[in-house]
Amino acid sequence: MTEAAAVPFAVTLDRLILAAMLLILAAILTAAMVMQYAFREIPCPLCLLQRYAMFGTCFGLIGQLRSGNDQRGAGISMTFAVLLLVIAVRQTLLDLFPRPGHDYVGSAVFGIHMPVWSVFVAVALLLGFAVRLVLFGAPRAGDLPERAPIGRLTRALAIYVTLICTINLVSVIVQCGADACHTTGYRLLP
Amino acid sequence: MMAAVFFTLSIAFALDFAGHRSLALSCLLLSFALGVSLFLWEVYSPEYGFRMPWLQL
Repeated sequence: MTEAAAVPFAVTLDRLILAAMLLILAAILTAAMVMQYAFREIPCPLCLLQRYAMFGTCFGLIGQLRSGNDQRGAGISMTFAVLLLVIAVRQTLLDLFPRPGHDYVGSAVFGIHMPVWSVFVAVALLLGFAVRLVLFGAPRAGDLPERAPIGRLTRALAIYVTLICTINLVSVIVQCGADACHTTGYRLLP
Repeated sequence: MMAAVFFTLSIAFALDFAGHRSLALSCLLLSFALGVSLFLWEVYSPEYGFRMPWLQL
């Protein structure tokens, strides 16, 4: 019997859902960086905190994809998804009514601004975890072999997310230094 | 402060990648506390506190 066949179908499907969530988050974070560097849109402090919450969710997803018998990773992801929801809702409410100094930061994507997209992302993440629990009831099947395709995908995504988190750290240092962040420019650039 | 939030998160990722799960979780917890504190600091206004008086229901 092959390694893949030894893993129950429900566990494989569960891992696929988690890997898809991680892949989508990595794509969103990459798109945010492209908008920052290619279109010169400097992120606001709450925008950076939303990125941070998405990275935290990725951390939990990576842990959950690696582990077999505990649900700590899923718990970490849900905690950061709730943090993302709170930050995104607060920023949406801040910018909901046009007032001096309180316009939405950055350009709209499909007519919807970034904090509103973040609300959708957070709700989708929480729904994804709820659906996962409803369908599989937190499958317990031991660790997935590293050589399995999902194991290789998880490792590649973990390296990629760690890399873009490091790039964001450098970017935050250049933008904010050790002080408060502003959208007027990069503090350490002339 | 934002740099500290991302720094602790990056360290957590690196430690987790190196297999030091407990240390990584400690860094993540510290990062989470810093992140929540920074969020509260960012949204606090000396004039309104945490209220949003522009929202009239």
